[in-house]
Amino acid sequence: MKISLNWLKQYIDLEGISSKDIVHKLTMSGLEVEEVIDQNKLFEKFVVGFVTDKEKHPNADRLSVCKVSDGSETFQVICGAPNVERGQKVVFAPIGTLIPNGNFKIKKTKIRGVESHGMICAEDELGVSEDHSGIMVLDADSEEGTPITKVLGLNDVIMEIAVTPNRPDALSHIGVARDLAALFNKKLKIHELSLDESNDDINSLASIKIEDELNCPRYSSRVVTDIKIEESPDWLKHRLKSIGLRPINNIVDITNFVMHECGQPLHAFDLDRLNGKIIIIKSTKTKTRFTTLDSKERELAPGTLMICDAEKDVAIAGVMGGENSEIYDDTKNVLIESAYFNPSSIRKTSKHLQLSTDASYRFERGTDPGNTMYAAERTAQLLMEIAGGKIAKGSIDIYPKIIKELELKLRLSRVSKILGFDVSKENTITILTDLGFTIDEISDDELNVTVPTFRPDVEREVDLIEEIARIFGYDNIPTIPKISIPLGAKQDETSFTDHLKEYANSLGLFEMINNPLQLESLAKLTGRAILVSNPQSMDMAYLRTSLLSGALSVVSRNLNKGEKNLELFEIGNVFNLYKGKNTVNSFDDYVEDEQFIFVLTGKKTEREWYSEEKDYDFFDLKGIVNTFMEKISLDNVLNDSYYTIDNSIYDYCFTGNIKDQLIGLGGKVKSSVLKQFDIDQDVFCFEMNLGKLKEITVPEKSYNELLKYPKVVRDFAFIFDKAIKFEEVQNLIQKKGSKLLKDVKVFDIFESIDLGKDKKSMAFQLEYFDEERTLTEEEVEKDFSNLIKLVSKGFNAKLRG
Amino acid sequence: MLTKKIEQTKKDFTTEFTNVENSSDLEKIRIKYLGRNGTISELFDRLKEADKKDKPLIGKNLNLLRNEITSQINEAKSSFSKQRKSETQSLDLTLPGKKYQIGSRHILTQTLDEIKSIFKSMGFSVHEGPELESDYNNFEALNFPEDHPARDMQDTFFISEDFLLRTHTSPVQIRLMNKMQPPVRAIMPGRVYRNEAVSARSYCMFHQVEGLYVDTDVTFAELKGTLVSFAHQFYGEDFEYRFRPSFFPFTEPSAEMDITCFICKGSGCKICKYSGWLEILGCGMVDPNVFKCVHYDSEKYIGYAFGMGIERIAMLKYGITDIRVFFENDFRFLKQF
Repeated sequence: MKISLNWLKQYIDLEGISSKDIVHKLTMSGLEVEEVIDQNKLFEKFVVGFVTDKEKHPNADRLSVCKVSDGSETFQVICGAPNVERGQKVVFAPIGTLIPNGNFKIKKTKIRGVESHGMICAEDELGVSEDHSGIMVLDADSEEGTPITKVLGLNDVIMEIAVTPNRPDALSHIGVARDLAALFNKKLKIHELSLDESNDDINSLASIKIEDELNCPRYSSRVVTDIKIEESPDWLKHRLKSIGLRPINNIVDITNFVMHECGQPLHAFDLDRLNGKIIIIKSTKTKTRFTTLDSKERELAPGTLMICDAEKDVAIAGVMGGENSEIYDDTKNVLIESAYFNPSSIRKTSKHLQLSTDASYRFERGTDPGNTMYAAERTAQLLMEIAGGKIAKGSIDIYPKIIKELELKLRLSRVSKILGFDVSKENTITILTDLGFTIDEISDDELNVTVPTFRPDVEREVDLIEEIARIFGYDNIPTIPKISIPLGAKQDETSFTDHLKEYANSLGLFEMINNPLQLESLAKLTGRAILVSNPQSMDMAYLRTSLLSGALSVVSRNLNKGEKNLELFEIGNVFNLYKGKNTVNSFDDYVEDEQFIFVLTGKKTEREWYSEEKDYDFFDLKGIVNTFMEKISLDNVLNDSYYTIDNSIYDYCFTGNIKDQLIGLGGKVKSSVLKQFDIDQDVFCFEMNLGKLKEITVPEKSYNELLKYPKVVRDFAFIFDKAIKFEEVQNLIQKKGSKLLKDVKVFDIFESIDLGKDKKSMAFQLEYFDEERTLTEEEVEKDFSNLIKLVSKGFNAKLRG
Repeated sequence: MLTKKIEQTKKDFTTEFTNVENSSDLEKIRIKYLGRNGTISELFDRLKEADKKDKPLIGKNLNLLRNEITSQINEAKSSFSKQRKSETQSLDLTLPGKKYQIGSRHILTQTLDEIKSIFKSMGFSVHEGPELESDYNNFEALNFPEDHPARDMQDTFFISEDFLLRTHTSPVQIRLMNKMQPPVRAIMPGRVYRNEAVSARSYCMFHQVEGLYVDTDVTFAELKGTLVSFAHQFYGEDFEYRFRPSFFPFTEPSAEMDITCFICKGSGCKICKYSGWLEILGCGMVDPNVFKCVHYDSEKYIGYAFGMGIERIAMLKYGITDIRVFFENDFRFLKQF
């Protein structure tokens, strides 16, 4: 919201206070000033120029070559405006001037071969309006060389204030002035009204009836007759322009002015266009169509609060007037609407119509129900003063249930308790009084505070405490240097994932963080995806069902950038609808799981002086998963893996299972899947469910006595049929070996013609030891020879040399 | 018979051993004599055939032979390795080292970890909650009434009428307070979503850390003290700070904390929008309406809460100007941190 400092000064004496101070205090009291435009600085270089000569541009029909004097020097300036003439006084921007609109500097330039030393400005270039129909022509008696700030009164400071939704009272100049009054301890000056009424009684001219009292608690009105619609006087146009509003005509401008002055939105109805000269406020019962004054037909939901005359709807209450009752150039008599509408009703309508106006913005935040009559009369007075209207005698003010001012108890002890600091009683009373609250002292500790109706946000004692704190200044509340800490055990629910991340790092993997919002086809690749009902784009319409598609997208993007060797991981939440559920209406309809994915692709080692290049393969993935499991002490629990080639995502894959539960799954991603991501190299992924992993109780670690006796190692190699799997042989050895056999490892596998067709050689190393004693050669030899026989027999394998 | 064979083996070994020139030759004869199917092993196998009375002597000789061969081979092995050592003196030591790789956590995780460790040292525990939340936990219980303009402050992705993607980590406050009685002192990191157009400055999701402390004697002054201490530990000592009133439905009074822009040191630049200040977090005293929803007695208990965006902090700290770079996961970016 834009606030003009000059306008503010109408309501508060700010003499001797710098605009810098004002901006600082406002920001530090909760009305954050986001931007300050100091016109004196902004328009510093613009001066009045006198057009001493004008000729047609030799090379361009629409351009003129002008001579402009700034009083001491004359410049040649090219001008494209149709209305530039010799003898005019104009706004001249010499070389070096920064033009506010577009933020560019005027330089010496050549336009179609003719030099130009400056610019003659139109209103839009100064940013004072959007008018670009021609250059601004100034009064003939303006003296050339005079700074434009003086001539045009551009000496204001405009502040852009971000008003938080709890402060509807601050959405006007008086509202901001009231905070300043409290901040600088000044008095607020509200314009006194003196209405010169005509003999026509308002009740003979119009009547008003509220049918929906809940949504329209108050409707105040004045009628002004014999108005002449014309352009507003300069001061009024100037005020509106200063805060970025476009002047329309005197009636519209006055209602806008009063709204920005005191925060009450107003509407002026052409009384002669109201059938039955009556205003009825009621809510629609069915879907209705209505054309607003911007000529758009809108569909209204049942229950929309409407302003109607005897026959038709004339306005959507609090949002926008209708085309059928707007002010025309020949409008003579107007009924001024100054109402208080139920904020929630206006918000619903505004949301439904996706139509937010200055009026609805204020009504939905809560206007002052106690101020409607003042605003109506202020409008009437200005209509009389500016538009020559006559104010009909009396007013209509329908206010069935008066909204009483709230009374709150404030304990000074509670102020100290919450702030951790004593604010004196005197200070407390001054602050609240300056803000418009009324105080009665009850006891040493207790005050009775009456809350003005313009502060709907103040409902409880703690709200008063905030008022005191913000005016007193948060910076004046001490910052204590020490705290006390309870000594109970502290929980850290993130420590598990923190450890996992460390382990992943030590395995050489980099963490990625992906957007869980995805394209439908990606999200549905791995599960029953949940749809966002109001997505930003189709690319982000579904929640991911696994981490795989995000990971593959990352691989794809990196490949495009030439990053072909990737080691990645991610920990994140995925979302799946339960079977049989299609929407989320309760926490039982879906599951949100925390998952962990490993990704390997490209070269494990590039060509180096010490090694050949080598691609990542399935066993790199498996090795990483196993090492990882070992590190989190789950290698013993997670022992029944399952290998398959029958999976829709992976060409071949393996799972991690605990009991019958699937914990993780991964392998070599199918090329048909990779194709969707434009990936043309092998990708290996393994994804697991952290929730399930966390549930597994890891056995407490305890010390194992270090082995004191030597290990005995024996090797053998066999020629097997190619179809025999390592694990089968391993299982047999482990099962049949003696209890002294502690480990079996495969250390060599190869195929060659010498071995025969469909044959392979596998070499095993067997490790023997006993914790209690040194083994004898004989006992090892015995077991070893036995195993040779069993393997040979069991797999029809042939022992090698 | 066997004794002869032992003698023969001894001779053969001596001859072959003198011909050994390098470690591979040595390995060959080691396998031949000492291997599992080697000569010595074979001789031991044949020990069975010997007369019972001869067995001890032959066995002893066999053992002696094995020991001798073993020690000769071992000696030769160590001399070969010494020889290799002298070879290394001619190695080009300036060749680059072999490559090893340690991964890293995402820069957002690193930033969060830093924040976490500071608050943990101040006695905060760490809790998490789901990203898909109920409207009740995300808004209602946090004093965002339906049809209140405060809801406009957070553009929301809805899943259904009553479910949404959480717009802040504050619903974890509700979950935590429903679960436990005061004192509660916790931070709650997590991912949040906002229905905002994706640009260099805003993304449809980001990360927050929420903080909450509820006890009988909690004050605004303590909130200030705690956050100032955090800021000093995180950003260093070289800045001014200020607390400004603001509005959050779930705190009253509410504040925002600014620190002097560390890019321009407060003189005004593009990053701080020429204000000289950077907003780093929002905070305030827990609103009594929130306590009502979790059945805490708001006369007895007072609390403070705060929240900050991780992306923003990381962007400021590392000079990142486009938020999207965090979620592109360009490997070159990931490797930088």
